[in-house]
Amino acid sequence: MSENDNEALETAEEELDTEPTGEAGADPDVDPDIDAEDDLPAEGAEEADAGDEETQTEDPAEGDDQPMLDEDVMPDEEADLLIPVEDYLGAGVHIGTQQKTKDMERFIHRVRDDGLYVLDVSQTDTRIRTAADFLSNYDPEQVLVTSSRQYGRFPAKKFADAIGARARTGRFIPGTLTNPKYKGYIEPDVVVVTDPIGDSQAVKEAITVGIPVIAMCDSNNQTSNVDLVIPTNNKGRRALSVVYWLLANETLDRRGADTVYALDDFEEGI
Amino acid sequence: MSQSEQQQTRQCVSCGINIAGMSAASFKCPECGQQIYRCAKCRKQSNLYECPDCGFMGP
Repeated sequence: MSENDNEALETAEEELDTEPTGEAGADPDVDPDIDAEDDLPAEGAEEADAGDEETQTEDPAEGDDQPMLDEDVMPDEEADLLIPVEDYLGAGVHIGTQQKTKDMERFIHRVRDDGLYVLDVSQTDTRIRTAADFLSNYDPEQVLVTSSRQYGRFPAKKFADAIGARARTGRFIPGTLTNPKYKGYIEPDVVVVTDPIGDSQAVKEAITVGIPVIAMCDSNNQTSNVDLVIPTNNKGRRALSVVYWLLANETLDRRGADTVYALDDFEEGI
Repeated sequence: MSQSEQQQTRQCVSCGINIAGMSAASFKCPECGQQIYRCAKCRKQSNLYECPDCGFMGP
């Protein structure tokens, strides 16, 4: 073996020795790259948590830790509400969408930093009372409640049971209000819909037969062919439960009934 | 009340047009109980209505 070969071998051995040292340099305590990687998921998780709180399909009150509740949800802080404002906020009744329509502009209080519109809770409260007054003018059996939206089905049924109305949840069979030959044909005097978009068939048939429509509208709904708007988050499970619960109790109160329902009655067990 | 008189009273609260047809809606004002008529066009366009008696603004 020549001297050159020996030198080459030594150099190769040194290189081999230095490589593990390089690996050892990748200590999480030292290596900034690893630190950055460790930080990223944490930040991501925080953002995801914040997103969950702010996404209206999630229930803000769910979870172990209490989420931060919005404070600025109505112009008059001293307004007399049916339930404490914290209960409305806990159910997410005030949370709108990131889109708004011209029709719903007057029910929107402000826009949050993340782009979500916040509905005016005091107007929601007032409209629940107004809707109860409205419904109390009608014979209970002549009221039809519809909900094609999954989260609205149970509260809508429960509401119908509570006030003695009729409910059509799930798919609204075309002809229910217009085709006398259909077995399930009915002739209600007023329709309550959970979402004018999802329950568009019910609204369409209500127009055909000329009966008034009460609708729970979110900030992204159009109020076309709606005669009375209840501004609320119509996508959240708890929000719909709270609104239907309040509406049922208020309607029964207008009729002078003694029965008072609890919120739990309107919440479907999971 | 004659038929023409009755028809005169059936006026849309938003636009004042005489109401005919099925698509129009009539209901009692939720606040005061005054009869309110809305024509099909105003309902479709979501025109605001105001109760002539109590000033309730809808929809």
